[in-house]
Amino acid sequence: MKTIADILKEIRPEFDFTTSTDFKADGMLDSFDMITLVAALDKNYGISISGVDIIPENFQNLETIAALLRKNGVQP
Amino acid sequence: MTPFRTVAEVLTAIQTVKAGAADFCTNFFPDGQKLQDWVGRNELLGESRAGALFLFRRDRDFSRMFFCAASPAALREGLAALPNLRAERVVAEVVGAESALTGMLAGLEAAGFHRYRKLQRMARLGQSTLPPAAGAEMPVTLAEGADAPMILNSLKGAFDRYAEQLPTASEIESAVAAGQIFVVKLDGKLAGLLFFETQGMTSTLRYWLVAEGFRDRHVGAALMRRYLATQSAVRRFLLWVIASNDNAVQKYLRFGFAPDGLVDHVLASAPIHHENHR
Repeated sequence: MKTIADILKEIRPEFDFTTSTDFKADGMLDSFDMITLVAALDKNYGISISGVDIIPENFQNLETIAALLRKNGVQP
Repeated sequence: MTPFRTVAEVLTAIQTVKAGAADFCTNFFPDGQKLQDWVGRNELLGESRAGALFLFRRDRDFSRMFFCAASPAALREGLAALPNLRAERVVAEVVGAESALTGMLAGLEAAGFHRYRKLQRMARLGQSTLPPAAGAEMPVTLAEGADAPMILNSLKGAFDRYAEQLPTASEIESAVAAGQIFVVKLDGKLAGLLFFETQGMTSTLRYWLVAEGFRDRHVGAALMRRYLATQSAVRRFLLWVIASNDNAVQKYLRFGFAPDGLVDHVLASAPIHHENHR
């Protein structure tokens, strides 16, 4: 199974997501990327991230995305 | 249709569609702040159908339509039940890799939408090389507050309001204040402008134009060079261009931009007669 970092790398290969604590402020993920990421996470982990959770705070960095996955019953 | 009163209402409406969706599809990718602004100004109206949510926002003399649907089939069914598509001009965009858009395009076309324009995204890595400079040096400066009306008029005259999401006067004023518009003024006139937005390591070039009467004088190249030179921290430059605009595409290619695989189909519920844009 792909890791969160693997999925992010597929969406935006030019960035090193392990070095950032705020993907949006650093210009690494825009709103289109975020929806693409949600679809990829849903598919990869067999979950359905809630629409009410599709907010920038949940996609700020690797830690917040991991927390979102844990909320959906996944141990990333 | 009813206006959304809070962002939470919008997100909850999306979740109603997304929960259990077999093949969720959407063209709604709002930036958090933009969504907050639209809702705060009561600009975003919503209408739900079984398995689909439609959102409308007025833009000058037409409405932009966004959707979230449980599947392309749900989108098609929801569109068929919408009453206002025939009553006014509605524009919808579908963005993504071309191969992923087939179902959404078919749904919109079945509801009477016509394909109007196709844009392609082009990207440039920050460290790409520039073509050699040519021509006389141009006086490139940051735009000032007094330039805002002239900038708005130039954009209105040169760009397609249906396909290229023209900024409002207040957006231009904000961009001027933020140092996001370069201009060249010659003979007391606006000879060219370049309008961009930078967020961290990504910069988006929104509009780049040279006024008629000032073309073939390297005004555009001077603007582009200044822009790229001032964005030393940027790793990725992005822009959207009308795919059939060969002249613009060739210019972007010369400056190191290349198509990155994303396209944006612009569709309209009533035919738009060609206007004289670039």
